Amino acid sequence: MTASPDILEELLRPPSGDSAIDRKALAGLLIEIAQSLKPELRGQQNGVHPGDLQLEQLRTLLVGREIETLSRLTGVVDDPERLAAAIGRVLPTAIAQATSDARMGHVLAPVMEKAAESSIRNDPSTLVNILYPTIVPAIRKSIGETIDETFQRLNQALKYSLTWRGLKWRWEAWRTGQPFAEVVLKHTLIYQVEHAFLVHRHTGLLIAHVAAENAVSQDPQLVSSMLVAIQDFVRDSFSGADHQGVDSVQLGELRLWSEPGPFALLVAVIRGDPPEGLHDTMRNTLSRIHAERHHALESFDGSSEGLGDVEARLRELVALGEHAPPRAKLGRVILLGFLLLLSISAVAWAAWWWHNQQLWEAYLERLRAQPGIVIGEAGKRGGKFFLSGLRDPLAVDPLKLLGDAGIDPARVETHFEPYQALDPQSVLRRLKVTLAPPPSVTLAIEGDRIVAKGSAPRAWLDRANAVAQMLPAGAPAFDFAGVINKDEADEQQWRAYVERLRAEPGIVITRSEAGDGKFFLSGLRDPLAVDPLKLLGDAGIDPARVETHFEPYQALDPQFVLKRLQASLNPPPGVTFAIEGDRIVAKGSASSPWIARARRAGSLLPAGAPVFDLSAVRNLNEGVLGKLSDAIEARSIHFDSGASLPAAGQEKTLDELAVDLNELAALSSKLHVVTRVTLTGHSDSQGQGTSNLYLSVARAEAVRALLKKRGVDPDLLQVRGAGPLEPLEAETSPAARLANRRVSFSIGFEEAP
Amino acid sequence: MTAVLQKKICMLGGFSVGKTSLVQRYVHSVFSETYLTTVGVKIDKKTVTLPDRTVNLILWDLAGEDDINSLRMTNLRGAAGCVLVADGTRPSTLDVALSLRQRVEAEYGPLPFVLLLNKSDLKEQWAISDADVAGVRENGWWVQTSSARTGEGVEDAFMDLAVRTAG
Repeated sequence: MTASPDILEELLRPPSGDSAIDRKALAGLLIEIAQSLKPELRGQQNGVHPGDLQLEQLRTLLVGREIETLSRLTGVVDDPERLAAAIGRVLPTAIAQATSDARMGHVLAPVMEKAAESSIRNDPSTLVNILYPTIVPAIRKSIGETIDETFQRLNQALKYSLTWRGLKWRWEAWRTGQPFAEVVLKHTLIYQVEHAFLVHRHTGLLIAHVAAENAVSQDPQLVSSMLVAIQDFVRDSFSGADHQGVDSVQLGELRLWSEPGPFALLVAVIRGDPPEGLHDTMRNTLSRIHAERHHALESFDGSSEGLGDVEARLRELVALGEHAPPRAKLGRVILLGFLLLLSISAVAWAAWWWHNQQLWEAYLERLRAQPGIVIGEAGKRGGKFFLSGLRDPLAVDPLKLLGDAGIDPARVETHFEPYQALDPQSVLRRLKVTLAPPPSVTLAIEGDRIVAKGSAPRAWLDRANAVAQMLPAGAPAFDFAGVINKDEADEQQWRAYVERLRAEPGIVITRSEAGDGKFFLSGLRDPLAVDPLKLLGDAGIDPARVETHFEPYQALDPQFVLKRLQASLNPPPGVTFAIEGDRIVAKGSASSPWIARARRAGSLLPAGAPVFDLSAVRNLNEGVLGKLSDAIEARSIHFDSGASLPAAGQEKTLDELAVDLNELAALSSKLHVVTRVTLTGHSDSQGQGTSNLYLSVARAEAVRALLKKRGVDPDLLQVRGAGPLEPLEAETSPAARLANRRVSFSIGFEEAP
Repeated sequence: MTAVLQKKICMLGGFSVGKTSLVQRYVHSVFSETYLTTVGVKIDKKTVTLPDRTVNLILWDLAGEDDINSLRMTNLRGAAGCVLVADGTRPSTLDVALSLRQRVEAEYGPLPFVLLLNKSDLKEQWAISDADVAGVRENGWWVQTSSARTGEGVEDAFMDLAVRTAG
């Protein structure tokens, strides 16, 4: 590679042809040799021609193989591909041999730089792929450590930010200008690098070891090998990646931090809590050692020669540490002080114990005097007082008394079973809770009885009665006879009212109650009976205090039956009802429809009701009115065929009709009967149907007008036309037709409205 | 410490050939047997004093494995020499030792080896013929019978290794 181009050219230049061989001289030489072999040839002419073929043969004989080799070589050298293949075969070996020459590196460096540059320009990813496996773990580790350090600072800063020490450190930070977190770290991270091992990575042999003065360890040579063995073990077993060993191990207070270098491993054994920044320090130390003793480390074969001053570097590392501030140098003083403190506290504790015991006894005494509390067991257990027994739920709370006694309730355990005390005080307490007596009632113990006095409403008295009966046997008696019933007056009024209501017909009382100042009333009431609420006013009871509930029913009392009949039948003025014994008798006169209705009503009366006697009522239709109406209905007015006015000769009939009708009207109004007279016009069957119908109506109208002329009230008369539809006789003859051409009269009575 | 020479020596052998007990009495040991079963290696130290210097042989006692493929080769990295141990009463362990050696040399190139035929005190159970031993020895091996009970051969083996590795 170092050959310059002209040397190559010189090598490769083709032979300059036959001209290089001095054929003439060669021929002369050969003749001379021949002559010396055969002197007789001397006389002969120099017969050898420079162009003689024999000469050429001779040359081939002498240097034929060399010529062949040379031409082969020339062939190789001439052909660039073959030349490249030939050089390629030897190039690695050549470079390997040239590596020992320092110039090799200088020569290759620019080429390599150029190559790398162009490679990156072509495709940067190639270089990235090459560097990735080495750079990324390094970056990751570095970032990880930075984060750890940040967290460590943050944690410590937070932990101490508000304590007294923290304030002191803040002052220090402010004074020295250091960040607070660093001051905190300085004071809190107490650690000591106890050992530093420099271990040869390849063999695991110890290169150097320095221990702190107070540190003890096993044989460092063995330890270093074991460290490497364990790192190998972890790497082989778990990690897989080549350059990821164990870089941190924590065993209790001890930490092992290891930093790998190219040839040596720096392991620090640290006691305590080192700052993450120590990693950096270790890395710096290691790289310094590598820089200073690169060759010695590289060629390390178990001998530490030439590595003596490495220990000095390690010693710098071991000197590192942050010690806890000396507490008190005079350990004995501390001990004495401690003992003194101990004895003082022992005496204090004894005094305190005695005092507590006194308080406890006093407390128990007081508790025993409490009604509703029975103490079963009391004593001390596990540094605490305990107390158990029975306690009426209404008795005083033992824990509350503790405060009064000056004992901390947290030091007392109590266990009380609930029970019902029967001593008068406890019973009185329970009665007060359960009965809640009104302010007007006082409860007091008198001898072995509990006596209530004052006044109370009825409801309270009822409750007191119930409670008094429920008191367990052996309890003091409860006497509330001395309590006046506040509701007595009200109750009397109520009773009087209910009595009065019971006397009312048509009212049945099924339930009446008084309680809590209110009254309840329920039962049956005939709608025609008196309203119970109206009677309240008379009785002097506030209706707001009364609740009533009455179901309606039909009373069978004769008076109610009479009332109901009067209401439903609405008898005309000429009829009166009266009770006679167990019968209701109607008297007077009425129209036959009313009589029929009254009879129906009488027959519908329920069993057990009084009999409704209508026998004394006279039927109007059967009297004068009846005769008159019969007389009127018997008459009719006749017409000539097709005529709407009456045929001649009927004035007399009309006059008589007018007299009868007027008399009928007068009688009707006297008897309070409404009478209706209907004039019905008829035609014979001859002629058109519709004209016959008109004709019949016209005939009835004509008669009405004639009767009006004769003084009959036209309102009394109604008109209708029947056409040929209601013939009097079958029209078999002119006489029958004449009979059918008529106006007939019908009379109806109605009850007055 | 810096004046002395250190050499990493690996102790190899089949299962239960007595390699650990062989050195127990003659080496400086701080780690317990449990390392062998947990980490697979236990490290001891044998100090050999040569006329001109002191050599500390750092002995990597590798867990006895009959299956040579499971031998953790990383443990042999940087070794200056090997002690192969076979059980004289079990010829198969000699084969294991020989194949272990092959495996190590294939990985790390030629190394000084010594072969200890252990349990020489069990004469009546001895199962390796002198011819076999001679055969191995002819291959240029340093072979020595040894006994953990009597201590026979142990010191010699370490001395030999110290000389060969420190030379």
